[in-house]
Amino acid sequence: MEETKTLTLKDRIRGFIDSFGVPRLIIAAFLLALFILAPFVGADLPTQISNTINRFCWNGILVLAMVPMVHSGCGLNFGLPLGIISGLLGATLSIELGFTGAISFFAAIVIATPFALILGSVYGWLLNKIKGGEMMIATYVGFSSVSFMCMMWLLLPYHSPNMVWGLSGKGLRTTISLEGYYSQVLSNFLKIQIGNFSIPTGALLFFALMAFGIWAFLHTKTGTAMTAVGSNPAFARAAGINVDKIRMLSVVMSTWLGAVGILAYEQGFGFIQLYMAPFYMALPAVSAILIGGASVNKATITNVIIGTILFQGIVTMTPTVMNNVIHMDMSEVIRIIVSQGMILYALTRKSEGSKG
Amino acid sequence: MKTKMTKRMLLFRCGTILVLLLIAGLMFLIGRGHTVYFDNKKAEYNGQTIETPYRIDVYVNDERVGKLSSGDRGMASWMGQNFKMRLEITKEKGGKKQIANVALKLPYNMDGIILNLPAMLAGLPEDAYLSEFIPAPVEVTEEDNEVVTDEFGLEGLEEGMEESAGE
Amino acid sequence: MSGGRNTKTGVEGAAKKISGGRRFLNFLGANTVPIMFIIICAICIPISGFSPAYLINEIVTRMGRNTFLILALLIPIMAGMGLNFGMTLGAMAAEIGLIFVADWQIYGIPGMVLAMILSIPISMLLGVVCGKILNAAKGREMVASYIISFFINGIYQLIVLYMMGSIIPIKHTTVKLPRGYGIRNTVSLLNMRQKLDDLLAINVKGVKIPVATFIVIAILCIFIVWFRKTKLGQDMRAVGQDMEVARAAGINVERTRIISIVMSTVIAGFGMIIYLQNMGNLSTYSSHSQIGMFAIAALLVGGASVDKASIGNVFLGVMLFHLMFIVAPSAGAKITGDSMIGEYFRVFVSYAVITIALIMYETKKRREKSQMAELLAAEQEGEEV
Repeated sequence: MEETKTLTLKDRIRGFIDSFGVPRLIIAAFLLALFILAPFVGADLPTQISNTINRFCWNGILVLAMVPMVHSGCGLNFGLPLGIISGLLGATLSIELGFTGAISFFAAIVIATPFALILGSVYGWLLNKIKGGEMMIATYVGFSSVSFMCMMWLLLPYHSPNMVWGLSGKGLRTTISLEGYYSQVLSNFLKIQIGNFSIPTGALLFFALMAFGIWAFLHTKTGTAMTAVGSNPAFARAAGINVDKIRMLSVVMSTWLGAVGILAYEQGFGFIQLYMAPFYMALPAVSAILIGGASVNKATITNVIIGTILFQGIVTMTPTVMNNVIHMDMSEVIRIIVSQGMILYALTRKSEGSKG
Repeated sequence: MKTKMTKRMLLFRCGTILVLLLIAGLMFLIGRGHTVYFDNKKAEYNGQTIETPYRIDVYVNDERVGKLSSGDRGMASWMGQNFKMRLEITKEKGGKKQIANVALKLPYNMDGIILNLPAMLAGLPEDAYLSEFIPAPVEVTEEDNEVVTDEFGLEGLEEGMEESAGE
Repeated sequence: MSGGRNTKTGVEGAAKKISGGRRFLNFLGANTVPIMFIIICAICIPISGFSPAYLINEIVTRMGRNTFLILALLIPIMAGMGLNFGMTLGAMAAEIGLIFVADWQIYGIPGMVLAMILSIPISMLLGVVCGKILNAAKGREMVASYIISFFINGIYQLIVLYMMGSIIPIKHTTVKLPRGYGIRNTVSLLNMRQKLDDLLAINVKGVKIPVATFIVIAILCIFIVWFRKTKLGQDMRAVGQDMEVARAAGINVERTRIISIVMSTVIAGFGMIIYLQNMGNLSTYSSHSQIGMFAIAALLVGGASVDKASIGNVFLGVMLFHLMFIVAPSAGAKITGDSMIGEYFRVFVSYAVITIALIMYETKKRREKSQMAELLAAEQEGEEV
């Protein structure tokens, strides 16, 4: 393993080390080593790659949800759970209202949208009040809202027998199966299957659509204004841009993407997870985009794609490879160290823009 | 002046570390705990059989830790190596209680120690009544094997706060 | 309401003098959270139906258990580093110490002392690492310290789950996982359970007062009060007031900040040992994860803020917060008929308190900043404003 690492390092060292950053390089090398090792230790490479692609589709939009807020200088969106909650409200209400099949997915998005807009606006308003301290407060806004919703999931008058506890007839279950609703609806759309290797075309297309949307948006007038606000707020203000409004817009967008992201995640995963489940969902998304080359105040769609592939690649590959090589399943621990280490690394970098 | 200060600082630091190490060593000595098991069982030694009394009450720190009929085993935790206990021996049913105060040194490296009380009371040498307690190998259970993540659910929360306090 | 002028002139700010007219508003503003909590408790106590004796007993126990841990937060606040979410690091160091002590079968108070001594070097090492990272992440200390606690948790799991028993010798099967390496989910500390609490304990009308624990807490309080007056303590406060001014005055800012984190980590480690001796067992992988959050929430409930906290805040906070914790589930169950509501409620309240305190701190900081900017502008532009 060591040897392959140094080899890849040697090959890439010149061009990439500055733009890529050492931790990122190590992670990429690590993943590459995993892929090279996989066939030797008896892991089925096509299955592994399909898994990685699948997981990429589940998580891609959640990672994408980081982009608008980073662009407007609000920092990493540790408040992603707020968007996730909007998505969960959409998902549960869609089922409660009796939608089934593929329709339920789009109904969920439609229903989640107003929630995301309202919660996002409040959240954006709050973040405008506390410029400079966004990340910590975002974290705790996320935590508070998740624990608040824990009470709500029990108290809200849901009735659908597929979602509530069987015995008492009220209060939502911790996990709700999406069988018969929108489980795999995107993944199965135009799915390509060659032996063990499969490509969830629909889910990829959905991600591409979202990513393209954001990319296109960032190239509109408002989009460039957003970038300007993020990189130099004083200059943006002087240029006549309403900084607070743009920031608010970015937060709303991030929140909405979070909502759509969790729905896309659920369609792949096949279950809705309620209560404490959204608690830490921000952290993998944050570290994924950072692994992809983003910093606290700079993020592109490419960062999202590379980051998600690397991160999810490690998540899928380490358990199998590790188990076969050293007979210890250390994947969970490795995932924690890699992802948190990456966030720490990004936080300690000097901000490239005028403020952090 | 400055070098002198740093020298004093260095000395002070070394001193602190030394004191801490000494305290740690002391704690090893006085804090070593043992689990002592008392057997009121028949003992065989050099061909002679020692009969058990009808009942032995074992008191450690003035607290009764065992009320042993013939064939019973009791246990107590003890900190340090100077073990003391009081035995109240009833030879036969309804008979009078005999009181014996016992003090003995526990071997440092044994976690669990079995004392055969009849053998000890008969005045036999130490190897006749003192033996190490080897716990039976625990059956391998997979349920304790779960890997814990950085995701703290409500479970961790409850564990942290809910465990009952007080006696 | 805010002290914009005070911070501007550093010396005045250091003395923390509040001009007379603002005092009342400041009192209300600074005590929003405690007042809120008193109201919550006042509503919940009658509903919960607990007897006063039971409540007092619980509060006293929980004060003994938690106060030391919360005190660990004071020093970094003094140094202007905010709420030290990295206190979890000390807790992990303590747990490693306790695992060894449990394996070596050292009982009672000697076991605690030994675990404390073992935790010191680990805490110091982690504290230095944490301090260095926080120095690199100035201005985002809190979020960085929060992520550090996760990162080190990963390392902790690596050591405890994979290296202990395989590389680091662990003998007893009561501590080790059956697979031969790694530590069990729960390590029993039965042999040191409440040994400190029971030492010199007195019983007043059914309420057990753990005198020895309170003596230890008192010693730490005295130490903190004394420490504030030492040269190092003064330096820390100067760094907390204004890093640049402190640097200009010849203080080694980076070093002072690292020392404050190291001290906090070591104290948190001791606190964790006191906490766990009360509990009587160690949840190897989860005991520490909540500690930081609860300690911080309790401190804030006591009326502390991100940049200002006193020993009084600690005691008030631990009482109010734990009173809420005891009564909320039962009150929630009585009101809604579902016991989980109350449990979620108290979790929500803990997080909400931290959120509110953080928001109040940031808005205050921002207002001060803009007031200062206005003042500067006014000075420059003469009479125009």
